[in-house]
Amino acid sequence: MSVRGTPRHVACVMDGNGRWAAQRSLPRTSGHRAAEAAVIDVIEAARSAGVGWLSLYAFSTENWSRPSTEVGFLMQLVRRVVRKHAALLHARGIRCRFLGVGDPRVPGALARDFADLMTLTRDNRGMTLTVAFDHGGRRDIVEAARSLIRSGVPADAVTEESFAAHLPFPDTPDVDLVIRTSGEQRISNFMLWQVAYAEWVFPQVLWPDFRAAHFLDCLHAYQRRERRFGGVLPAQSQGPVRSQGEGPGRGRNPHPTPEQPSYQHQNGADRT
Amino acid sequence: MTHADDGSLDSPGADPTDHDGGPSRPGAQEATHPLFGPGSEFHEFFHDPRWALAMIRATVLEAAHPQVGAALIDNSTFVTHPWRRLRNTLVSLQRMWGSDEQARQREAQRLNRLHARMSGADDRHRPYDAMDPAVRAWVVATLFESTVTMCRLSGQPLEQDVMERLYEEFRGFLAALEGHADHLPVSLTDFWRYYDRVVEEELENTEAMRIVLYKLFDHLPAPALLNGLPTLWAAGRALVGPVIGAVTVASLPEPFRRRAGLPELPGAPTLMQGAYLAAGLARVLPEGWRRPEAITDLLALSPGSDDPRARTVTALRDAMHRAGALIRLISPLSPEPEPAAADSGPRRGAEEFFAEVLDQTGNGYLDWPDLAAMARELSTRLDLDEPEENRLYDAFAAWWRELQAALDTDGDGRVSAQEYAAAVPSLAGPALIKVAEVLFDVTDKDGNQTIDAEEYRALFRTAFHRDTAATGTTYTRSAFVKDFVSFMTGRRRSSPYDPLLAQA
Repeated sequence: MSVRGTPRHVACVMDGNGRWAAQRSLPRTSGHRAAEAAVIDVIEAARSAGVGWLSLYAFSTENWSRPSTEVGFLMQLVRRVVRKHAALLHARGIRCRFLGVGDPRVPGALARDFADLMTLTRDNRGMTLTVAFDHGGRRDIVEAARSLIRSGVPADAVTEESFAAHLPFPDTPDVDLVIRTSGEQRISNFMLWQVAYAEWVFPQVLWPDFRAAHFLDCLHAYQRRERRFGGVLPAQSQGPVRSQGEGPGRGRNPHPTPEQPSYQHQNGADRT
Repeated sequence: MTHADDGSLDSPGADPTDHDGGPSRPGAQEATHPLFGPGSEFHEFFHDPRWALAMIRATVLEAAHPQVGAALIDNSTFVTHPWRRLRNTLVSLQRMWGSDEQARQREAQRLNRLHARMSGADDRHRPYDAMDPAVRAWVVATLFESTVTMCRLSGQPLEQDVMERLYEEFRGFLAALEGHADHLPVSLTDFWRYYDRVVEEELENTEAMRIVLYKLFDHLPAPALLNGLPTLWAAGRALVGPVIGAVTVASLPEPFRRRAGLPELPGAPTLMQGAYLAAGLARVLPEGWRRPEAITDLLALSPGSDDPRARTVTALRDAMHRAGALIRLISPLSPEPEPAAADSGPRRGAEEFFAEVLDQTGNGYLDWPDLAAMARELSTRLDLDEPEENRLYDAFAAWWRELQAALDTDGDGRVSAQEYAAAVPSLAGPALIKVAEVLFDVTDKDGNQTIDAEEYRALFRTAFHRDTAATGTTYTRSAFVKDFVSFMTGRRRSSPYDPLLAQA
């Protein structure tokens, strides 16, 4: 129950681009542009840490309500990033998927690049990278319900497993760890079904500043936690277990551990 | 299958009356040279790579005949669906030249029914009729002459006796089709006089001929296998298309080139002879690489088909798709943002559906020949006999009247893409549903009111796709009718009908 391995499926809610830009008196768009480096860094860190599934929340169904210039810029930026890194992602053996992308407002060219990247990397055996783009957790569940009803399954025969089989990418395992940057503590309609048992960490750092070291800290924070899935640990407090987990965790970590100080350091500034 | 031994040359006792369906048999020594099947002269050529060139040349000479040209322009799907058409032609030729007499008679009847539906008038109001015996004799003559010429041009001319036997086989082919071969001269000497006369007096620079020579190869759609690589296909086509045109023009008879005003390009004769020579050399390739029907089959196989070769083909196609995806992804973006390419939604646009599915002849209008081409393709696939075939054609004809009444707003007798796009929602009328029901009936060969796996495969050449709508391994009438109607009204994009009617 308390096996503290590397999480199998890590998801990131990439929050704080706008605030990062605002802190520097830059337009919001430059915050998005700066996010690219963080994305690439995290993908590489996750892969080398042995994470099997990485999901990134890039654009929610609610984000369409942003100003149209920002949305348009995001579409172009994502297209450029996808094309720029396509060959590299493929060479690293990463299987790429795009979750959502159902809205007709997604430009055709971008949708085709997504489809091309999925086709290109379909048979890769390395880490699976799921980019949630134009994604909404509730919408996925509603879609699954529709598909379930269409398949004519009798109500009594529906189980959690058979329901999950109708979700998009049904082979995706449950999320073990969600990282939401910038200190915001919300779910925001993200992979609702899959995060049922996930641990959440909320580093204060803004997404454009998020780097491999922060990612590894989050993994260690996860490893120190007790995952109980609603059960009860056999008569023992969390203290010894935590210190147990902390020892080897710190020993393995090649990076300094800036989590507490650095989070607090940024805490004051990031809400501006 | 008593004909299985026909081809073996070591059975001199083989009963020559086996070939009584053919024309008069010139001599007893011919018993060792069957007209059809293994051992015949033509059978030796069937796997010859030079045939690709000879077929194009024969098609140009056919199309230059005013009657054939008009029939092609009005009825043929070879511009929009050339690969499907090529495959059907090869299968038909194989049946006609195979050793199975019954299959030959059946195929001849099918071809006759098919041609009987093709008649009309060209744009100068001259009537054409695909059943005209003189016209059909000319088609056979071009095939024979192109085979002979192909050997001549590649520097390996046929011996006189081989040529005579080959001519006899082609007359036999015409006789199998017509019942007699009276419109082809009996002797080979007379044939050349006949041939030269037609070339000099009857052939014209027809529109169909120009399309074959200049448009077909410049716009040749990619076969199913290469769909993922449009850029590569277009680049190769831009290079090869004009070469094929030049090679074919240079191989046409001189008097015709002069009369039709076809260009004499410097170096074209050398290029042409080089092409024939190279194709002739390709005969040293391994047997399996030279079977035209195998190659066209491969090109036409759609993914997910449960053909034994499908796994390899699927793997090949996947590799093609990945290569295409990579090329698209790494090719630099044009600096300016692309003008709203938002048309590629999941829903098929009305115009796209019109061009891909409805307008089978590719002339920009929906007309009876387009629907007849669909009926033709469906009955070819299902290998229908006469009564079922007629039912299917009648259903399509009724649908055509319904479409015409509903859509032809300007009253010119045909439906343009604009007229179609304006009226899409009102298309699922009773006649279309009737088409779906008739198609269900003729597909359901054993009449058990469901389409089982085998019947399904006959129609779509793929296994069942277990999508959400299909339960079990059979297809019920109502589900079939619903799917067909929603495809035919352009409401559903991805369905097994796509490879059936939209694929090139």
